[in-house]
Amino acid sequence: MTMRTGTNYMITALASLMGLACIFPFFWMLRSSFMNNIEIYQYPPRLLPSILRADNYPAALSIFPFGRYLINTLTIAIPSVAGTLLTSTMAAYALARLEFPLKRLIFTLIIASMLMPGTVTIIPIFKGWVALHMASGYLPLIVPAFLGGGAFNIFLCRQFLMTIPRDLDEAATIDGAGRVRILARILLPLIKPVLISIGLFAFILYWNDVLGPLIYISRNEQNTISQGLANFRAGFGTDYRAIMAASCMSVAPAVALYFAGQKYFIEGIVLSGLKS
Amino acid sequence: MSAKRRSRAAIAAYLFLAPAILGLVFYTFLPIFGVVGMGLTEWDALKAPKFIGLGNFVELFTDDMFFVRSVTSTLYFALFTVVLGTVYAFVVALLLNQRIAGRGLFRSIFFLPYIVPSIGAAIVWAWMYEANFGVINFVLNSIGLDKVQWLGNEATATPALGMMAIWGFGNYIVIYLAGLQGIPKTYLEAVEMDGGNAWHKFRHITLPLLSPVIFFNVLMSVIANLQVFVPALSITKGAPNGSTLYMVYYIFKQGFWNNRFGYASAVSLIFFAFIACVTAIIFASSRNLLFFEGE
Repeated sequence: MTMRTGTNYMITALASLMGLACIFPFFWMLRSSFMNNIEIYQYPPRLLPSILRADNYPAALSIFPFGRYLINTLTIAIPSVAGTLLTSTMAAYALARLEFPLKRLIFTLIIASMLMPGTVTIIPIFKGWVALHMASGYLPLIVPAFLGGGAFNIFLCRQFLMTIPRDLDEAATIDGAGRVRILARILLPLIKPVLISIGLFAFILYWNDVLGPLIYISRNEQNTISQGLANFRAGFGTDYRAIMAASCMSVAPAVALYFAGQKYFIEGIVLSGLKS
Repeated sequence: MSAKRRSRAAIAAYLFLAPAILGLVFYTFLPIFGVVGMGLTEWDALKAPKFIGLGNFVELFTDDMFFVRSVTSTLYFALFTVVLGTVYAFVVALLLNQRIAGRGLFRSIFFLPYIVPSIGAAIVWAWMYEANFGVINFVLNSIGLDKVQWLGNEATATPALGMMAIWGFGNYIVIYLAGLQGIPKTYLEAVEMDGGNAWHKFRHITLPLLSPVIFFNVLMSVIANLQVFVPALSITKGAPNGSTLYMVYYIFKQGFWNNRFGYASAVSLIFFAFIACVTAIIFASSRNLLFFEGE
């Protein structure tokens, strides 16, 4: 028994050490955001600021319009999350419940498209939007979410819909409910946890996206948070206290969202691994 | 079911599937043809595209000083990240699978970097790697080692960016942990009854039962890390000497900064073939390594 507790202490110590290393960049970002540049550039580096200089935040805000960027980011992320949930569940319902010609082929194509890396096709897709004279603005960033919402999400919803007994659909059909009603009122409420996971991950995806806004958004007042932060760093490369304050502002909402929906994040990830 | 009802069901199915089918057509299949077609043209800025056959590919392999470098750097980044990252994620998952206090908190801490905005992460890591004032060199200094120009040195730039990517492997930790928790206790007890130790349990139960999960994680992390972009964009800009000129960044640069869309498409096509080959190799080599229950 004592050997067991001894090993346990060692495991806890090792996990704590690695955990500290893992959390260190967050701490470093936060600690730097409360220092002035003299303290940041001090060597050997000091662990904590001498005083908490909260004025770095208003200073950063005067050149880094976080509120503006936040609205821009949400303008992309919120419709995209809605589109992802709407169109992936629609496709999943057809694949799980309806019979139609070429069903196997379409399912296979959707699965196969998961292996296609999105970065391969950025050039022709951009040229397509140029041909439509719509290559500048939010539309090219939002529209893809309304076109199926990602093959993996379709697959995930389908798997869950398949576990629901068909008796429920049949009973509702006898009561006169149509397909849309069955999907929206009976089936989707039963897979709500999966839908929450999909929604949260879609949100994080759009919140963190860098490449998309870089291609389609050029005007500064339309920038997203990630894009604004990248530009801010490029423009004010040495003013680290302001950069760190701006970084903290862009990271904090993602961290807060994680702690609010922790259970769904973890479950969503576990599900993504179980498809193997 | 009558023929009429069947055809009505089919129409309904296609209506439900319409967005996804449009997505397949306009975001997967047509763009693939687009990459092939555009790769055969010279298409600069505002000029009309001009067919030049394999001209772009000839230039890539004979005249472009950076292209081959771009391919090898990308492969190096992915290999470094996936090999070390898999070991890291697996070890952390094994630790967290033990009966230790605060497991939920640990899991959150290790997972969190996965969802952090990559630009924010890149900014703080770049500052930690900074050669003169950075905290990483301070640690090296204080244990008696010399400072390293982490991001300014061809030998260390990709490993340095790779460590940052590995930090974000929290999703794989969570997947491994779920896999470990799914292993039936009776199997492990059976090994104990036969006098086996911890290594035997790991080698003969844990590893084979988790091999499909490991395979999945390796495949997914290879595909993800071959597409590395943000660190090159926001930290190194491809420097030093092309050692972090990863392929997606190169495609982006040639296309959107140099306005060479035909050339960038040719790079995209090679990039696609490259990822397909790596994926095929992983699938082929996994056949002998995988263990599926019930086989």
